[in-house]
Order: sequence, then C-alpha cells, then structure tokens
Amino acid sequence: MTDEHEGKVLGIIKEFASIGAGNAATALSSLLDMELMNEVTSCSILPMSKVPEWLGGPNQIVAGTYTYLCGDLRCGVLVVLPSESAIMLLEHLTKEKVSLGSINRIQLSALKEVGNICLCWYLIAVSRMIDVDMIPAPPDATVDMLGAVLDIPLASLGAKVDTVIAVHTSFKALDGNFEGYFLLLPEESTLKLILDKMGDTGK
Amino acid sequence: MRELRVVGIGQIAVGHAPEQIACLGLGSCVAVILYDPLSKIGGLVHVLLPKAPNPCTIEEKYADTGTKKLLNELIARGAKKEKIVAKLVGGAQMFPNLNLSIADIGKHNCWEARRTLRQLGIHVVAHDTEGNRGRSAYLDTETGRVRVDTAFAPTKVI
Repeated sequence: MTDEHEGKVLGIIKEFASIGAGNAATALSSLLDMELMNEVTSCSILPMSKVPEWLGGPNQIVAGTYTYLCGDLRCGVLVVLPSESAIMLLEHLTKEKVSLGSINRIQLSALKEVGNICLCWYLIAVSRMIDVDMIPAPPDATVDMLGAVLDIPLASLGAKVDTVIAVHTSFKALDGNFEGYFLLLPEESTLKLILDKMGDTGK
Repeated sequence: MRELRVVGIGQIAVGHAPEQIACLGLGSCVAVILYDPLSKIGGLVHVLLPKAPNPCTIEEKYADTGTKKLLNELIARGAKKEKIVAKLVGGAQMFPNLNLSIADIGKHNCWEARRTLRQLGIHVVAHDTEGNRGRSAYLDTETGRVRVDTAFAPTKVI
C-alpha cells in the first residue's frame, strides 16, 4: 500500500467506525441515563504484537465484551471499559457494590448485555450505511488483563494475518467519570468490501 | 530492579542471567519457556495459534514452529540440549460462551506445544495452563523460576 492510498483507506474506515460508534454511544447514553460523547476515531495499521501497547499496555485490567461478525462482513468487534468505568456501570445497573475480582453471574451477564446493546447499535448504523447484512455471534464478556482479552479477537483474524488494522473510538461521559472504547478488527476481505461500498457513495 | 524484556505476540527472546524476560497478558496465547540451568540461558516464545500455515512469515506466532525456533536459538546461544527443560504458561479460555471454534484455541495451543516438545525430547517440568484467567509470566534467568501473575489471584511461582 502506498502512503497516499493508505491515508485514504484509513480515512474511509475512520468514517465508517465513527458512525457506528456514534449510534452505539447514543444507545449507551439512554441506558445509563448520562450524556456520552464520542471522541476522535483513530485507526492504525500495525503488527499484531503491537496492538496491546497501542491500546495502553497488556497488563491493565479491563472489562471486554467481544463478538465476531460471520456474514459477508467478517470482523471482530469489542467494547472495552477500564476497570473503574466497569465498576461504575455495574453498580449503576445492579444497585449493589461491585468488586471486579469476585464478579457474580448477574454482573457478568449485565456486562455482556451492555456490550451486546452497544455492538448491535454499532452494527445497525454501519450495516445501513453500506447496505450489507451483518450477523454477529452472541457476545461474551470477561474481566481480565487487556492482553488476555485481545488474544481471541486477534487469533480469529486467521493464521496468515500478521498485520492488523485496528480502529479505535473512545467515548466519555461529559462529567468525565465514565469512559471506554470500541475496537474494530476487520478482516482483509471485509476491508475491501467496506472500501468498495463506501467508495460507491461518492467518497 | 533488573531490566525486563517484554515479549509480544509472535515474538521470541533469549537471554542469560541475570536478565528477566516476560510475556504480559497471556489469554489463549501460550508462553513456551525453555531454560538450561547449567549455562543459565533461557528464553520464551509468545505463541498465538497452534499450527503454522504453509508458507508462514512469522514462525514465532505458532506453537509448533515457534517452539522449534526457540530451542534452536537457545542452542545457538550455547545452551546444551540435554539440560534444557520446558515450562508452559497460558492457554486459557477467555470467552467460554462464544459459539466459535476459536474459543477453544488456548487448549489447542497447549496441546501443540506439548506435542512439539515431546518430539524434540524436551521435558515439561512445570506448567500453569488452561482455566479461564489471563496470566503474565516472568522468567528469571538466574534461577529458571517463572513467576505467574493473575488478575485478582495470588502470584504463583513455577
């Protein structure tokens, strides 16, 4: 890929992700009854080994909800919350004290459901935009080190993939007490499809 | 504090005492750790998947080719093959409720690493594998001991 072409590709993917993330943040806002804002989407083409560092380091504890799209569009999608935000979210939803070290089934299920809602709203927006059916696998959630959370999403990109395109959109509450991000890991074929479709719309 | 070398996915590192080599945030990935107590040369490889495709560009990413490459690098640095022992860390099932075959990849990574080590005639002396928690592994090349940190659980030494 030439630099110019790469820049164009990243631009298109950024727009794609921003629209998805915008819709997901709106859904999350009404669920949590707080104003959420999306921040800039950043997109990077990087070797697989650098992904955890790019996201802030493999050792930090996060709550991650992951799903995989299995239709025409093949892509991993994650919602990641830093530990403080995950605690805040779960305490708000379950009205009980939460400790991430001893998370119970209801709390884990709540986490999964919140991830599910975000992911679905994300997909609704992007699937309309490019007119492609998107079929997500049921999501699963875990609270662990970021590096560990990312292993399965990276492994599912396939044995031959060494360089990944990672698309990151963070969201934040207006009062700054709640934050997190969406992470998109598209397969190469998916990337082509997105580019084709978005290229057609006069971009 | 001694210098710590961090090994990312699909990377390999070999060092000798008193170096410390670590893999941080292992989920379904496996750290294959080889150590020669006599020369105090040790190394680890951070593998993501069990079997290498043919052709493959990064041998270190797969349990079969990565383990072989690590052994060769240890020997090239002066370790004696008959003294080398192995330890395995990682291979957890991070998303047990996912309806994808890849959800089990951690277990397959462990199996493939063990199979390759058996083929090479290297004995696995300790392991902390599978389950559903992420781990960080720190190899101390002075002693050959591996410290395993887990989120929300006490540290182990294997």
